Amino acid sequence: MINIEGISKSFKDTKVLNDVSFEIEKGDFTAVMGASGSGKSTLLYSVSGMDNISAGQVIFEGVNISELRERELSRFRLTKMGFVFQNAQMLKNLSIYDNIILPGLVAKKELPEKIRKRASELMGRMEISGIENRDIKEVSGGQLQRASICRAMINKPDILFLDEPTGALNSEATEQVLEILEELNNEGMTIMIVTHDPRVAAKAKKVLYIRDGQIAASKDLRNGSGSEFELGNWLKEVHL
Amino acid sequence: MKLLLNLVRKDFKRNRVITTALAVFLILSAVFMAGGLRVTGIMLSSLNGLNKIAVPPEYVQMHKGEYDEQAFADFVAKQDYLEDALVVRMLNVNNAQIICNGESLEKCLMDNGFVTQNENFDYLLDQNNEIAIVQDGEIGVPVYYAEGLNLRAGDTIVLQNGDYQKEFKVATIIRDSTMNSSLSYSKRFLISANDQNEVALHMGEWEYCFEFLLAEEVAPTVLEKAYLEAGLPSNGVAVTAGIFNMINAFSYGLVALVIIVISILLITMSVLCLSYIIRATLAEENHSIGEMKAIGIPGKEIIKLYQIKYIILVLIAGVIGYLAAIPFGEFFSATVIRYCGDGSSQWMQWLFPLVGVVLLSIFVVFRCHRIIRKHLKRTVMALIRGEENIKKEGHYRLPSKGLKVGNFSMALGELKCKWKEYFVIFLIFVFSSFLILLPMNMNNTINNPVFLTYMGIGKSDVRIDIQYSDNLAQQNEAVMTYLENDPAIERYAVYQNGYVQSQNIDGEWEYLRVQNGENAVFPLEYLEGQAPQEENEMALSYLNAVDLGKKVGDSITVSYQGKERILNVCGIYQDITYGGKTAKAAIDFDSKDIEGYMIYLDLQEGIDIDSKVAQMRTILPNSKITPCNEFVYQTLSSIITNMNRVQGVAVVISLILTILITVMFLQLMMAREHSAIAVKKAIGFSTRDIRVQLGIRILVIQFVAIIAGTLLANTLGEAIFAGMLATVGVAKIKLLVEPVWAYLLCPAVQLGVVVMTIIIGTNTVRSYHIREQIME
Repeated sequence: MINIEGISKSFKDTKVLNDVSFEIEKGDFTAVMGASGSGKSTLLYSVSGMDNISAGQVIFEGVNISELRERELSRFRLTKMGFVFQNAQMLKNLSIYDNIILPGLVAKKELPEKIRKRASELMGRMEISGIENRDIKEVSGGQLQRASICRAMINKPDILFLDEPTGALNSEATEQVLEILEELNNEGMTIMIVTHDPRVAAKAKKVLYIRDGQIAASKDLRNGSGSEFELGNWLKEVHL
Repeated sequence: MKLLLNLVRKDFKRNRVITTALAVFLILSAVFMAGGLRVTGIMLSSLNGLNKIAVPPEYVQMHKGEYDEQAFADFVAKQDYLEDALVVRMLNVNNAQIICNGESLEKCLMDNGFVTQNENFDYLLDQNNEIAIVQDGEIGVPVYYAEGLNLRAGDTIVLQNGDYQKEFKVATIIRDSTMNSSLSYSKRFLISANDQNEVALHMGEWEYCFEFLLAEEVAPTVLEKAYLEAGLPSNGVAVTAGIFNMINAFSYGLVALVIIVISILLITMSVLCLSYIIRATLAEENHSIGEMKAIGIPGKEIIKLYQIKYIILVLIAGVIGYLAAIPFGEFFSATVIRYCGDGSSQWMQWLFPLVGVVLLSIFVVFRCHRIIRKHLKRTVMALIRGEENIKKEGHYRLPSKGLKVGNFSMALGELKCKWKEYFVIFLIFVFSSFLILLPMNMNNTINNPVFLTYMGIGKSDVRIDIQYSDNLAQQNEAVMTYLENDPAIERYAVYQNGYVQSQNIDGEWEYLRVQNGENAVFPLEYLEGQAPQEENEMALSYLNAVDLGKKVGDSITVSYQGKERILNVCGIYQDITYGGKTAKAAIDFDSKDIEGYMIYLDLQEGIDIDSKVAQMRTILPNSKITPCNEFVYQTLSSIITNMNRVQGVAVVISLILTILITVMFLQLMMAREHSAIAVKKAIGFSTRDIRVQLGIRILVIQFVAIIAGTLLANTLGEAIFAGMLATVGVAKIKLLVEPVWAYLLCPAVQLGVVVMTIIIGTNTVRSYHIREQIME
């Protein structure tokens, strides 16, 4: 689905990503881990086209996104990608509900009624019904993060990108979000997530460990080696 | 202290955009504040200064012909309310005989007299505001000609009549407290007594000005009545100090007032901008204030840190503003200084701006202190999270039918939530639009041919005056014969001027100058009511109506040849001719009582007015023939020139301010909304969408502001204009708006400027990286 071919990214004289290549298959759940400053978030933003890359290419379903013009890339993001950030980034002048339906209304792929119906369904599924008309400051962090997952899902994207989605949440809220992600992935949604939390990474099918801008190690968790304990041991190994 | 300065230096480096915005507005505010106050200081000093030194008369009666010197001296001796009196001998010379730098003044509307310097009062001043002195062979030229004909010291003026020729060298440019203005139709040249006597032997006609200074609180009408009753010479117009002041004030005082109003507007705008920008920039500092508070820096030190930054900026701005105010003030007050001099209170132009800058600095430091103290009251976390900003705004609803015009809907929605933030820019745009339209509308009003009809002058092609002559009736007959037989004349109307008596508020009888004739042929604009249609109707000039305490519908008792008649006041009109005190009624004057005739005429279509007037002047040499367009030009040209200048500068300042405030506002808006912009980009809005949304918000605000500004200019502007005119003695006058300019071109230019500014100002959105903004 996505071929990442030798991408590099530099900030001034510092190389944050250095010739990174890997592949994301449809239905994958890829977790990217690494120490602070290792380049894991940069990798996510580079793959999703939110950040320019210095070298290499990202081929998304046959389209080289580095070559897209800004407007085309925006449309691409709108219709094919969903994003969830560490601090649920929402527009403060819209209610929770309007934040969720906004990408659907902007994309204009479907009738507004259909988008609203899906938003309500998603909210029900995420167990946040009832907060539709609230201001973004009137709900808890967990509710807000689940609302941002709803927003990311509103246009039925091909892939969901998540950057530390549980970083600012308590354990209970983290658990809720993880359950949702797992469920979505089981239904066929492709997910790429950046996290430093082994609990989160344990839900993935594949873990990439980034060190100094390169993939230092990767682990396939589909063979049943995805317990938190095993992952923890693996991380200790690769971290050394 | 060193540490604080170090922190300030680092802060300047870190917050370049915000600091630049702040610095620009501080400097602008200081320039406008200091500039506006400097202009005000110069104007006040200048306008008061001339009269203080020149000591203009409070009542002047002009007279052509002989007079009884003893009778006049007896009259003066008997009136105990007179402080002083003098007789000015003026040698009136035909304009065609005056040659300035090789060109005659034939086409000039003014009556030109040659006088010697007066004693005791009514001095003619030189360009240093000192009593002008000329030697034999030298001449002092009225500033009106120095401006209009570009005459300078050293130029030559020749008086020529047949073989006789007298050459004068221009020694000085004269400021004349009574006849400076282009609205005063007489001008005085200053020559030596020897030269005056010599020239009088060869050319010219003597005219006398009987001038009086009155004791305090004595009304000129007391003298006027006593003078006329004493049967003293009065073959000419009588003018009071009020009228001199009015026409002087109208000529350059009006422009001065416009400039002062513009200055006040600019000061208001700059204080508004500054207040906003301080609040906005300090709101951006919440996070830093929170951090400093978190690490235990005492509140006093935090306040000191920010105050040092603002004090440094305001000091720099104050110095720049004070210095920039010098050319600013010079530019705006050049004309007034030319006509009136610097005046005796020049300290005003230095002290006023200084006080302004100091007050502005105190305002800035105080405001900064208050805002930071308010911020410091909040908890560290509230500051770091910037909670207050979020709480206040609320949210808008997306349209239920979807986003057909997505950017527009979103921009309007955001505007609805953030309107408080936009209130200042809205006010700035309103003021900006007002600033452009007010001088423009005023200028249009003065430029409009209808304006003269407001001033008591009928709209026609040509005006003929027959007055101050011993054979008025014959002259009038000659003119009538000519007009009847010339096929080029389309229509004409004759008006006779004479005096009746009427009772004032106190029941005393006063002389009233009345014009008799067909008022409907060349009508005036009436402030109230209409021109007299019936024999028992009378229209009054505004000043007369005020003096006599009459309004439309009242009755007025007039007395002519001992017979009293009761007339109805049918209309009130504005007039600046004959001292502003005239009336119109069907009074059948005896030919001996007719003081003069005035004829308005229109020429047939296609007839060239100038060549026809030239032809008429040769056929009717004893009548004063003036084309009305020339009349407008010569009367109002200096005012129009100055108004054009003021209007041009107002447009430029207004547009510069619009550009600056838009740029700064955009910068602040983008800085504040960087995370929202990043979110929008992340969910699929393109850079263009975001720029369009930012632009729509500002343009909608500007559009509403332009409408508000235009309405204000037409309502408040008219009130201001009327107030200014009232200050200079002219009654209410409607603003005549040029709709294409006021309602179409000006708004289009303003919107265009803002569109261009938005296009350039939002260009940086392109370089916003989602990642950087989200991660912050």
